[in-house]
Amino acid sequence: MIGYLTQIIRAVAFVFIALLLCGVIFEFAGFSAPLMFQSIADGAFLSMRAWENSLRWGLPLFLTALGVVISFRCGFFNIGAQGQFYMGAIAATFVADGLNGQSAVLVVPLTFAAGILGGALWALWPGLLRVKSGTDEVITTLMGNFIAGLALIYVTSGPLKDPSGTGQAASSRPIGEAYRISEGNSLSPTIIVICVLVGVGMWVLVNRTAFGVLSSLAGRNPIMVVWQGARLSRLGLAGFVIGGALAGLAGTIEVLGPIGRLSSGMLPTHGFTAILIALVANLSVLATAVVAIFFGGLAAAGLYLPVLAGLPAAAIDIINAAIALFITARAWPKRLTGLLRRDAT
Amino acid sequence: MDDTIIAILRSGTPLIYVTLAGVLAQRSGIWHLGLEGLMIIGACAAVLGVVQSGSILVGLGIGIVLCVLASALLWFVIEKLRANPIIAGLGLTGLGLGGTDLAVQAIYGSQASVNAPFGLPRLGPAFGQYGVLSILVVLMPVFVIAVWVLTRRTRWGLQLAASGEHPFAARSVGVNPARMRLIALCLGGVLCALGGAELSMGSLQIFAYGMTAGRGFMAFAAVIFGGGNPLGATGAAFFFAIVGALGIRAQLLFGERVPPDFLLALPYIATVIGVWISGKLRGGAKAAASFGELKDY
Repeated sequence: MIGYLTQIIRAVAFVFIALLLCGVIFEFAGFSAPLMFQSIADGAFLSMRAWENSLRWGLPLFLTALGVVISFRCGFFNIGAQGQFYMGAIAATFVADGLNGQSAVLVVPLTFAAGILGGALWALWPGLLRVKSGTDEVITTLMGNFIAGLALIYVTSGPLKDPSGTGQAASSRPIGEAYRISEGNSLSPTIIVICVLVGVGMWVLVNRTAFGVLSSLAGRNPIMVVWQGARLSRLGLAGFVIGGALAGLAGTIEVLGPIGRLSSGMLPTHGFTAILIALVANLSVLATAVVAIFFGGLAAAGLYLPVLAGLPAAAIDIINAAIALFITARAWPKRLTGLLRRDAT
Repeated sequence: MDDTIIAILRSGTPLIYVTLAGVLAQRSGIWHLGLEGLMIIGACAAVLGVVQSGSILVGLGIGIVLCVLASALLWFVIEKLRANPIIAGLGLTGLGLGGTDLAVQAIYGSQASVNAPFGLPRLGPAFGQYGVLSILVVLMPVFVIAVWVLTRRTRWGLQLAASGEHPFAARSVGVNPARMRLIALCLGGVLCALGGAELSMGSLQIFAYGMTAGRGFMAFAAVIFGGGNPLGATGAAFFFAIVGALGIRAQLLFGERVPPDFLLALPYIATVIGVWISGKLRGGAKAAASFGELKDY
């Protein structure tokens, strides 16, 4: 219990330090820091509507972050959540668009399957390169993000292009109304149910199965896992694939749900935020849910700031980045916890 | 042909400066993923400095000071707070991208890009077609050789490598690995500022949000590709620039048949293949999971 408490205090303390640094940057750039934080709180949590928005942005982040949790626990630094999210969204849109006109009972499950598969496959190749030939996964997944971003630009301005599109960013044809899982740009019970189910499933996987135990051992002491007769490469590959599948699921939900179409350059910081969430939550499934809502709130505030408060949305990017800078620190207040060095609870 | 060489030099030079910064960090034992952020700070500071003060030296100076300060911050977080270098580096990149966006918006309102009245000094008409190249392109080989000499032919370079590979050994002969890393990161900050300035002021004289477009990460890939050797990494960076330039050339030739996005993806694909091959050549991996964490003493 004490261990949990210190972990929470530590995470909150470093987030606080990061916010202080952001305050200094805002003042330096000529914005009032108190006003900035007040507006962010307004946009994220200080009204019913704000909470709804925070959940709307937080839930897909929660799914992607769970994927990051799984692959980090296995000891692989899969930072390609962004690319896997894009590939999932692209695959889902291809299916939903290609089968347009068919019955929703058929199309919606197929779309989900395609999205999950798309994300998983985009995680599979860096995983295979890693376990088969030792290619560093940090670089391959990073490059995968850029390639997926270009693929998104290509499909939204090529095969899936909406011919009637007039906006600045190219986008796909809207998903048929029958296949949408939420009304307009908002949350829906369906999305909440999916996220709760996946969250429970992942909690069981991590805390109550052999895979969960072995994978978190693999993250901390790979040699021991090998000596115990487990296949490190298989564990790692499973971590990659599950991580990619969850990011792909998040992409599918965005396409079928709130966004309702594919657009080039959509949610460019989704994957990075998901990694942050996983780290702030110290790779715990339960904590990931709470932290995801917090970062969802920041994302919601990012949309609120320029429109209603007249402040630049970059403020949110800066807050996220500052948290990233400090969140893995483990020397202060003491060497309590470290990345992938958790208590074996 | 001359056009292509000029294009390669122009796109390769910023990449090579930043790659050299990555090499210094790599040899000191730090996986530097903050290169992208430092580069955009350098690019932004150069343009804003010139616009505000009218002097190219002021622009470069502000860029260098900011990049060195940001590098020192990264060093503090990694070395003193023992943060994970990869995540902290990504955080620094985010700070650079967001901070430059905020700075532009604070000064110019919601404007997408800033134009500078003039750029870096050029070679001039005496060099014919090559006269459009900036002074930093000409100085680039000097920096490459300087970094090579520094890391491979001096006592300091050996101490730096020891700090990265075996900090305990470095300490046992009286070298302070933490200080070596600080120096390496700060020197890298200077190089990133120059690379960023060349990117924004070398040919276009413009700063736009996110204009580095992953070049910092590509530089990091070049460092890994080149095995931490300055010459190898420079070669890798040049290779990426050549692939990029050929991609643009190919776009002109087959633009109708091949979507331009495929050609734009070529450098990234080349990076993956390059890192894969270089990993194979070195006999597979270091054992699983160092995650670029600093070696303990």
